[in-house]
Amino acid sequence: MNKVQKPYMNPYLAGFLLGLVLLSAFFVTGRGLGASGAVKSVVITTVGAVAPESVANNAFYAEYFSEGPGPMKNWLVYLTLGVLAGAFFSGAMSNRLGFKIDKGPRISSRSRLLFAAAGGLLFGLGAQFGRGCTSGAALTGMAVLSTAGFLTMMVIFGTGYVLAYFFRKLWIK
Amino acid sequence: MGPLIPQGFVNADLNLFFAFIIGLGFGYVLEQAGFSSSRKLAGVFYGYDFVVLRVFFTAAITAMTGLLFFGYLGWIDWDLLYINPTFLWSAIIGGAIMGFGFILGGFCPGTSLTAAVIGKIDAMVFIGGMFIGIFIFGEFYDTFQPIYTGAFLGNVFIFDTLGISRDGFAMLLIVVALAAFIITQRIEDKVNKTSDLEKDARPSYWIPSAVLIAGGLLLLLLPSQPRTNWHEVSPDKILTTVSNQHHLTGIDEVTYSLINGKDRPVVLVDVRSAEDYARFSLPGAINIPLGQILDHRYENLLRSDQKVVLYSNSNTLATEAWIIATRAGIENLTVLAGGLNGFVQTIFQEEHITDSYNLNVEHQGRFREKAKNYFLSGKAVPEKESVGTPVIKLIEIEKPVQGGC
Repeated sequence: MNKVQKPYMNPYLAGFLLGLVLLSAFFVTGRGLGASGAVKSVVITTVGAVAPESVANNAFYAEYFSEGPGPMKNWLVYLTLGVLAGAFFSGAMSNRLGFKIDKGPRISSRSRLLFAAAGGLLFGLGAQFGRGCTSGAALTGMAVLSTAGFLTMMVIFGTGYVLAYFFRKLWIK
Repeated sequence: MGPLIPQGFVNADLNLFFAFIIGLGFGYVLEQAGFSSSRKLAGVFYGYDFVVLRVFFTAAITAMTGLLFFGYLGWIDWDLLYINPTFLWSAIIGGAIMGFGFILGGFCPGTSLTAAVIGKIDAMVFIGGMFIGIFIFGEFYDTFQPIYTGAFLGNVFIFDTLGISRDGFAMLLIVVALAAFIITQRIEDKVNKTSDLEKDARPSYWIPSAVLIAGGLLLLLLPSQPRTNWHEVSPDKILTTVSNQHHLTGIDEVTYSLINGKDRPVVLVDVRSAEDYARFSLPGAINIPLGQILDHRYENLLRSDQKVVLYSNSNTLATEAWIIATRAGIENLTVLAGGLNGFVQTIFQEEHITDSYNLNVEHQGRFREKAKNYFLSGKAVPEKESVGTPVIKLIEIEKPVQGGC
């Protein structure tokens, strides 16, 4: 709009800094980073508020209410609040704030949003099976050299590459 | 000293404050890297922008190398780190579903958060989709549960799965990453038809690459393993060894080494308290009280090429030390059968049979008699330098405490 967007950071520098953030997370908590966990907490809290009886009968939900301070007073929830604040700060510094839809050149905004919703749904579902998303399972899992981390990472990107051809219309000319 | 929270260095409320601070850094870096743009993210699948691969791989290697060095220096205890458990099919199916979601949605959860907060509408919709996906999993949990909790391989490490050494794997990963950086840069140039002028304007990466390679080599060349359970020996194996007494070294063998030290040197380790050690110990023995058996200082000593024999008054304390050290990956230690009491009794108190029809018994008896005279004549000279003043004073030996040492 009025100001020019600043260029993105050198990806290797960004990767190095992200690695340090991850390392400090391990140093403080013994666990890595995660992003889908907070969304899960919100879902579980919502289900708990709307349909408490279904929580009691479901092992997936019940675990979060059985002990401790509940799903919202959770490390990953506060981490995610930090992520939102940090990203907003970064976007503001680099003049990247503003409502916008990113999409490939060949699809309409409406299609883009439909596919984004479908992608989010799949990612949310897949992150449960994978016990974490690209951050919590793949990146964090790789840093501690866990087999699961490498496996999940390879399958995520492998599947992406296999399917890329069929969905090229979404992203490229 | 780390990780801080699991060891109680940080109280639970500050914990959440730390979470917020770390999140700040996480969000800031993701946004600065360009992860708030689904177009940039999807570029990794079409070759026009490999930013995902660069950031992701660099971050993984930085954190991995850092954790390995922290572990080596004793700054972080790997035993307290969360190692992602491997549920084989759940990981594969989850990965495939996420990969599908990635190509459709152009985000992953973390990146969608950073994008949504700066106003990307597609990211907000993506997050809405995530709520539904997680809800579906919750509602059908009973159906998914067999896959979700099936095929559990444990909290396994990739290098164990591949059957290679840990540091070797780390080095390999670094090399693969650097190769990937170079190759993907070429692909990107080709896809985007980058001009030579633009290529020349790029910063040179040979210094960071050299640093990474050097770090990997250093990991490979460092002499000893960090004291963690990297290659921990399974409890079953330890139990079998101990119950079959395969961890014991016989008194005669140790005695022989004490007399003929140069032929068959052994490292004798007294695992009793410093006071007990000062009062009475075997010649040449080194004192490592049980509680310090995993202390970094003693690691090279315990991993000696020579035979290492632990002893205490009886078998009990030394076996305990043996189990702790073996479980932590220091293998090939042994325990003096019968301990000091057994030694004293066998060599000094028992009647030695020096005349028998059984030649083995006779030889054993003569050997023990010879050893007795040898020790009593005061010829047992300590051979190690850092020994203190080990002396044998038979008079002061005390009756073993009941039930161990």
